[in-house]
Amino acid sequence: MKPATSGRVTRRGVVVGGGALAATAFGAGGHRARAAVAEPISVVINQSPWFDSFRQTVELYEKQTGNKVDLDVNPFAGSLEKQRNSVRAAKGQYDLLVMNSGWFAELYFGGFVEAITDIDPSFKLDPDVYTLGDTIWFDPVKKVMTPAGKLMSIPISPLIPLLYYRGDLYKGAGLSVAETFAELEANAGKLNHPPGVYGIVQRGARGTASVSFDFYPYLYGFGGGIFKDQAAGDYTVTLNSETGRTALDYYLRLAKQAGHPKTASLDQADVIQNMVTGKAAHIMMVIAAWSQMDDPNKSAVVDKVEFAPPPHAPGLPTAPGLGHWLGGVSRNVPDGRKRAAVEFLRWFQGKDAQLANVKAGGIPINAAVYRDPIAEEHRYRWMKPLAAALPHAINIYQFPQASEVTAILDLGLNRAVAGEITVADALNSMSEQIYGVMGKYDYKTGKLPPLR
Amino acid sequence: MSLLTALRRHGVAKHAALIAAAAIVVVPVVWVVAAGFRTQISLLMGAFWFTPVLASFNEVLFSKTSDFLVNYRNSLVVGLTSTALCLMVATLAAWSLHRMRWPTWVVHVFLGWALVFHMMPPIALASAWFTMARAVGLDSTLLSLVLAHTVLNLPMALWLMGVYVRDVPIELEEAARIDGASTPTLLWRIVLPIIAPGLAAAAVLSFVFSWNEFAVALNLTVKATATVPVAIAKFAQEYEIRYTQMAASAALSILPALILLLFAQRYIVKGLTQGAVK
Amino acid sequence: MTVVVSPSADAASFKRARRTGNARRRCHHGDDVVWRWAIFSPALLLMLALSVLPLANLVFTSFYDVTWAQGQAIWTPRGFANYAALPGDALLRAGLVNTLIFAAGAVAGQMLMGFVLALLCSRVTRGQVFYRTLFILPILIPGIVVGAIWKLMFNYDFGLLNQAIGLLGFAAQNWLGTQQTALASVILVDIWHWTPFCFLLFLAGIESLPQDIYEAAEIDGASLWQELRYVTLPLMLPTIMVTFAFRLMVAFKVFDEVYLLTGGGPGTATEVLSFTIYQRFFTENRLGYGAAMSVMVIFLVSILLVTGLSVRRRAAVVA
Repeated sequence: MKPATSGRVTRRGVVVGGGALAATAFGAGGHRARAAVAEPISVVINQSPWFDSFRQTVELYEKQTGNKVDLDVNPFAGSLEKQRNSVRAAKGQYDLLVMNSGWFAELYFGGFVEAITDIDPSFKLDPDVYTLGDTIWFDPVKKVMTPAGKLMSIPISPLIPLLYYRGDLYKGAGLSVAETFAELEANAGKLNHPPGVYGIVQRGARGTASVSFDFYPYLYGFGGGIFKDQAAGDYTVTLNSETGRTALDYYLRLAKQAGHPKTASLDQADVIQNMVTGKAAHIMMVIAAWSQMDDPNKSAVVDKVEFAPPPHAPGLPTAPGLGHWLGGVSRNVPDGRKRAAVEFLRWFQGKDAQLANVKAGGIPINAAVYRDPIAEEHRYRWMKPLAAALPHAINIYQFPQASEVTAILDLGLNRAVAGEITVADALNSMSEQIYGVMGKYDYKTGKLPPLR
Repeated sequence: MSLLTALRRHGVAKHAALIAAAAIVVVPVVWVVAAGFRTQISLLMGAFWFTPVLASFNEVLFSKTSDFLVNYRNSLVVGLTSTALCLMVATLAAWSLHRMRWPTWVVHVFLGWALVFHMMPPIALASAWFTMARAVGLDSTLLSLVLAHTVLNLPMALWLMGVYVRDVPIELEEAARIDGASTPTLLWRIVLPIIAPGLAAAAVLSFVFSWNEFAVALNLTVKATATVPVAIAKFAQEYEIRYTQMAASAALSILPALILLLFAQRYIVKGLTQGAVK
Repeated sequence: MTVVVSPSADAASFKRARRTGNARRRCHHGDDVVWRWAIFSPALLLMLALSVLPLANLVFTSFYDVTWAQGQAIWTPRGFANYAALPGDALLRAGLVNTLIFAAGAVAGQMLMGFVLALLCSRVTRGQVFYRTLFILPILIPGIVVGAIWKLMFNYDFGLLNQAIGLLGFAAQNWLGTQQTALASVILVDIWHWTPFCFLLFLAGIESLPQDIYEAAEIDGASLWQELRYVTLPLMLPTIMVTFAFRLMVAFKVFDEVYLLTGGGPGTATEVLSFTIYQRFFTENRLGYGAAMSVMVIFLVSILLVTGLSVRRRAAVVA
């Protein structure tokens, strides 16, 4: 559906802010002004490395269409609170909510987000947009996230972990990219020369989804998982299976043989620190940190870091866990603003907007950009590995009480990494507790017999 | 005279101890301020010597994503207003409670309640206050934060001023009453000058707490009314702590409190020499 | 206007005289009811509006479970079930123990340091302003910044602390990552951060002590230690108790530093109560249970304070 570009105000909305803006929309935008004129909207978002690129992309939208967008930027610690305050009030403060993977389920289940197709039935999802583990859809009746549900949000930032490795060290040792776990273990062992360089630096600290997030690619990459089949509503706990044991054994072995001696106390910032100061040969890190690697003010290894999809067991696909951001429209705001928000999303998902986004330093959500020649440039060498990994991104939790489960995982995994408890004990006790939590909230659940 | 006596007379030991303590206090602060002039990588590499750059200060003060000067102004307005309000309210209430004819249970219940209130985690209060502010349409104004800070500092101010108010010799008040002074005159002419040093100390503390308060400020402000801690917190991001920008903004944020402190310092000394009962 | 107050050479009797004098004479005041209420009401109004309501809300919520559907809140009554679940919460038990240790260690450290510094500062003839300004510095820094900066200072690989002790020949320590040292490190940071608060209060208290007592004591030939024990400490007792009460309450609320320094780890070594409450209330979105936890914490601290205050009163009466 192509909105009118001739000088006709659509029945959708009224331009607030002067006729001059309307003239800009239809004049300077030219053939690129595909969005209709709409009300000003406010977006709640957090400060982050990719925020600046988002801001520039929004400014481009404003220039091309004349619609106004106000960005309320908050610290990460507290952005959830601000969104909750807004959606729970009778009248919301914000129209577009930029939700983190940690809490979007809460907002879906609570009925706080209005389906895009409910606001505008003619909205067509660009077929090149990554669907990120089907998290952009939600069935409010069955309460599952599958393409059969309604379209609730558009991805804003498709963040998944990639394997960062030192290309220069690889060249020096004649190594090739690690694709399987066995190869990663071998490469990390060869490059491990403590205390100058550690073969791999892992994020073992206990925090809010800290060590657990680091562990997901290993768990799922070996073919394991926390629940049996979330999409079908079966929350039987499968964490303490033999595959789970293999994965955790591997994770601890890596740390012991090629890792940092203080893995149990390293959090995300510490891991990145180790990489930028040149002390790590490999890290598993969210792609959002790529900009730090090549910034001479922040890194001692400029242009030396390469990227690859997270390793996996042979025969299985790569399995990065999602740490992404989705943009959904709040339910408790006036209809005109809802439609204006959808207008923005319609523009944002397109290839042109996403090309501008990546040039400003962001991470595109549209696969067409990854096929563009820009992906060949050295500065954007992370794009090809990311494009290979994104279709396999896994949404670990499809229910709102996920934070209780991640708290259990973080504590148990941290204790295992610190050597306080054995692998079997860790997996068994975590599974037992997770089973308890799922039962408490009346999910269909079960458990496996304990590991010996 | 022995060496020990000579040292004692000149207070060398005291000075040595004080200087050592001063060093422990100052070194991290200086280090923070210096960090604002470094590049992130030089900080992470732990290098001692570095070439100063202004990039972090530039970004904090002048970049498009930073409203630091606005945040600064907001913090100043909220800090000064809430401190003035809080101290005024607290001093009057403390004097009324301790020096006027209230039944003892009133005094104990009110002060006890203030204590209990002081124990509540500010985060739990913030959500409730947001709902209330939104209901009356104050959620995007500074007034809601001013009131919140006033009430947050009230318990401490009440108790502090209670201590200082009770130190005022009752004979003075009696004498003034006999001379026919009304309550306002009594407060203004007799009580106020004597409690002035305590008032100054309480004011400094109240201002500092308001200046540094984060949890409530986060909930009750929007971009236009955000205060300095909210701005600084934005540098502690999900994937990195932008140490150098955080340090730069922290260095800038210390300034007003420091100036106020120097100011109040002299007032404390002046108050003491004038108001002492001898 | 000057008034001569006749001092006794003994602080205790001086205090006693002052206290009973006040009590005896209180009744002559307060004849103007209007003024009594007028200057009290602003405080009363503020407290009623902004503190009673939220606390009532908290208590109310603690008896329910709050869930959300279709944008609306659903309140399910749970009776005392939330409170019953508290003792079974392993993290809460750890939180209680850690917070008690933290509060005791941090408050003791701050008060001792603050008192010593205030004493020294008041005795020194030169440079008082210099020292005073310097010692206040740490509380000017926001809690989150203190946490972030000390996190960097404690860093195993690049931290200033490990570099410094490395120069002295000691091995680098994993301050925040080892069970044994993590809580102590957090306590250290808190002492650094809050000693100025105690220092300021004690200094104001010391400087407002009547000088004639000291002169009398000096004439009597009292040593420094005797002066401290029989004059300064007894006279400072009200200030000490107030400072102690306030620092204790704030120590129980400690959050910013722990959040940034250790996130409650390693394991549960630095899990403190407010952090657990934050987890339950906000991260896990369990409003009812989190409210019950908050109410219980308030209750516990109240008991502690009441016990402490009654102990002091009994001690004062005996003296």
